[in-house]
This record gives sequence, C-alpha cells and structure tokens, in this order.
Amino acid sequence: MSEDRMRMILFLSGSSAMLLFCLTPFLYMVIISLSGNPDFLSTKVSFEPNLDNYILILTNSTLHFPDYMLNSLIVSGMSALICVLTASLAAYAITRLPVPGKVFILLFVLAVSMFPQISLVGYLFKLMTNLGWINTYRALTLPYVAWILPLSLWILVSYFSQIPGELDKAALIDGCSRWQILIKVIFPVAAPGIFSTLLLAFIFAFNEFLFALMLTTDHGARTIPVGIASFQGLHGELPWGTIMAASTTATIPLLILTMVFQRRIIQGLTRGAVKG
Amino acid sequence: MRQHTFGQRKEALLFILPLALFLGVFVLTPVAGTIIGGMFRDTTFLKKEFIFLDNYRTLFADAAFRQSFRFTLLFVAVSVPLELALGTVFALLVNQPPVRFRTALRVSVLIPWAIPAAISGRIWELIYNYNFGLANYLLSALGIRSEPVNWLGNDMSAFFSLVAADAWKTTPFMAIILLAGLQAIPTELYQQAEIDGAGFLKRFIRVTLPILKPVMVVALVFRTIDAIRIFDIVYVITHGGPGGSTSSLSLYAYKYFLAGDFGYGSAVSFILFLTALGLSLIYINLGAFRKEFRKELP
Repeated sequence: MSEDRMRMILFLSGSSAMLLFCLTPFLYMVIISLSGNPDFLSTKVSFEPNLDNYILILTNSTLHFPDYMLNSLIVSGMSALICVLTASLAAYAITRLPVPGKVFILLFVLAVSMFPQISLVGYLFKLMTNLGWINTYRALTLPYVAWILPLSLWILVSYFSQIPGELDKAALIDGCSRWQILIKVIFPVAAPGIFSTLLLAFIFAFNEFLFALMLTTDHGARTIPVGIASFQGLHGELPWGTIMAASTTATIPLLILTMVFQRRIIQGLTRGAVKG
Repeated sequence: MRQHTFGQRKEALLFILPLALFLGVFVLTPVAGTIIGGMFRDTTFLKKEFIFLDNYRTLFADAAFRQSFRFTLLFVAVSVPLELALGTVFALLVNQPPVRFRTALRVSVLIPWAIPAAISGRIWELIYNYNFGLANYLLSALGIRSEPVNWLGNDMSAFFSLVAADAWKTTPFMAIILLAGLQAIPTELYQQAEIDGAGFLKRFIRVTLPILKPVMVVALVFRTIDAIRIFDIVYVITHGGPGGSTSSLSLYAYKYFLAGDFGYGSAVSFILFLTALGLSLIYINLGAFRKEFRKELP
C-alpha cells in the first residue's frame, strides 16, 4: 500500500473518531431538547420530536430564561468592550511608549491571569454587598473586565508589536498627539486583531460561572450558565428536555460566532499563547 | 539612545492607568483581602476575631480538606496529560487535512470549547444519568454490559466521569495552541525527512516533536493552572459527591463562603492560590517557556 493511501486511511479514521468525540455530546443535547421524552433511549416510549421545550423556555415567565439570556448578552458585551478598550491603551503604551519595566508588567499580568477565581470571590462578595451592588450588572462587569484583561493584553501586544513604528513617526511629524495616533492610525490597522480580541473576551465573559454564581441572587442579573446550572424541576425530577432546550438556545450565539469567525478565534487564541 | 522626557513617561503611564486600576481594585485587593481574611474567624453568628494561623491549623487537621487537596492534584495529574495527548492528535488531524474538510473539521473541534463549562456540565450529567443517560445506553446497545453503571455513584467512576467531561471541554483549546506550533514547522523539514525515507511515526518523533516541545510546555502551563482551579463542571456534575470524593479545592472553599464562613473559606482559597502560584513560578522558570515568551516581547 502506498504511503499516501495509508495516510488517507489514517486521516479518515482519526478524524471520524475525533468528530464522534467532539460532536456526540453536542448532538445529544440538541436531540434531547427536541424530544417530548428525554428517557426515550432506554424506555419503550417514542422520540416524539417537537418544539414544546423551546416554546416553554421562551414563554414560561417563571423560568426566566429570556432574562438570563439578556443579562448574559449585556454583561458579556459590556465587559468585552471595556476590557478591549482598556487593554488597547495599555498595549499601545507597552509596544510604543517609554514604559519602564515592560517585561515585568507583561509577566506580572500573566501571573495575575493564573490566580484562581476562588481567591477573589469571597472578598468580591463582601465588597459588592457593602456597596449594595449584589445582583447588578456592574457587580459582574467590573470583575469580568479585570479577569479577562490579561489575555486581552497579551493578544493585543502581539498584534500591536507587528505594526511598523514608521506609521507612528509619520503621524507624529504631522502633528498628531499620541491619542490621535492610537485612534486614527493604530486602531484601523489593528482592527482585525482588536476584533478577534473582542470576540474572545465576549466568549470568555459569556462562559464565566463562579463570579456570576456568587454575585447574583436572581433573574435581575443572573447569567445564563448559572441559570442553567441551578435549573430545578418543580417536583424534584429534573426537566431534562427543558434544560437541554435552554442549553441549546444559550449555545446558539456562541456557535454562530465560532462558525463565522473560526479563523479569527484560532488566530486570537494562539496569539495569546504563542506566536501565531 | 533616545532620551525620554518626563512628559512622555507620564503620558505612557496614563495609558496604563486604567489597566492598573482594574487589576488593582478587582484582582490584587481581593487577593490581599483573602490573605488577611484567612487570619480571621469570620462567620455569620460569631464576633469577627483575629486568630492568625488558627484557620490553617484547623485546615491541616481537616480530613475533608485533605481529600479535596488530593482530588484536585489527582485531577490535574490525570486530566492534563490526557488532554495534551489527545490535543496533539487533534492538532495533527486539523493541521493539513484535505482542503475541502478543513473548515468543517476546525469548526467541529471548536464546538466543545465554545459551549460554556456549566452547560457542558449539564450535558455530561445527563449522559451519565443512571436511568436513561447516553453512556449506559451505549454500553448496553453495543453489548458491552447489560447492567447500568452508576457513574456518579462511586468514587472511582465519578472521578473518571469528570475527567472525561473535562477532556471533552478543554482538548480543543490544547489542539488550537498546538496547531499554532505545527504551522510554524517549515514544510521543507518534512520533505527532507521524506526523502530520507522516514516513515510517518519517525517523522513525528524526529521532526515534529522537538519543534513542538516549547509550544507543548506553554499549553501544559495554561491547562495545569486552569485545571487546578476547576469548579464549574464539578459543581454541576457531582457537586463534590459521592461523599466529598470529587470536591475540588475551589468547590470546598465555595461551600464555606456559601455558608457564611469567610475566614475558613479564605484560608482554603489561599492554599489553592499558593499551589497555583508555586506551579506557575516553576513553569515560568522552565527554559522553554521563558524562551517562547521572550520571542513574543517587543
């Protein structure tokens, strides 16, 4: 057998196994969400595909699913915007301006990103309680921004450092201030990088769980991961069809982003970790 | 050497100020608060009192704490190498597939990464359901075992159930990081090896692995630090059970916070903090890791 054939067989069997592993749980979620009988696999009941679970989570006001979803979108969106803005300023200074101890700052920020969330959340809970901010958007947004900053900074530093310094010099000679250079020169050139960072920051904020669990009390600010994790049935039995419908719906915005911007996400993630 | 004026420095610091404020107020102060808080008796009904290291004395005598510590380290030791191995295979598969499969493959691999951990926890909780979960269904459908397994009901299977769920969720991240390393390998190296008559496996060991090593170290660092603070999927899938055997340190501390015991919860958190810090310091000082980062710096 030729080497090429062998490679093709190896590739096909390997990717089939990989796809099976990656997609089965996801498809399982979707299938259960479409079924009137989540136990159809083991019992003799039929599958009965319908959209009842979806209609329930969208219309039943005691479940608060649309509230959780809206909270998640608002908190993640705000966090991503503020975070990328803050990180862009810092990344600009680190790559362009005479900042003392650049290497130290970057390594320090890296160390900060390695702090376990649990070592912050007890204090944050007390802080937000004292401020009367528990269960508000700002109680989540502000810690989220701080939490996602290290990753954003690393990615943006990597993008900004590839923009030639001559661009700045030309603008300086034209009489632009540093702020103007950032907005008029760097932002447009680095737009793809900034967009990737924004996307990743949004996804990370959307995924966050522990802060949201501790710092919210109800649908006023609770985000969708916590909402789904604390989903309880009325009579003790877990309503799996409903939970999976909520999970599928919550995943849709992330899936769309992932599918459309697959290349940007991969690029951004690898920039954050290693040279892309 | 260009001279920088005081004004330039001031301007530069102004750009960094927002970042410094965010990290100072919402990361560094909380950590300091946790360190100090761990030295207090701070529960709901008793007067707050400075007890210095008493919480830590209690902690080291606390069998449940030791169990959490053991679980957390064991979890890291089992899941991270598994994810590294799987991630390498995934990265090789998505690196240079036939062009028509490429986008589809990459998107599929990213799906588990994009789903929030709490939600993937729910999916796996259902998969492990004793009565009608997918895992038991597959076992009986494939004729491996007719009796259902109580996956989350005993220590050993609950542990590996969590490892599997975590591997599903995080292997994509590993694969993406390693993919970047693979793409940096010049194709000429492979061609040369091919001309020299090296087979697939030989090429992987001789050409790919040495070049991939620094990237592997970076991926390992990120995953280790992430795995040691594991919370979401444990909270959702086992909630620390059965009998506290899968309670991670984060979950253990969280339960104290939830019960209003901030002193003890802070002490547990601080131990986890120290463990993570110790590990990252070791890693950062590893030659390969440092070299990889130097390249990154402007």
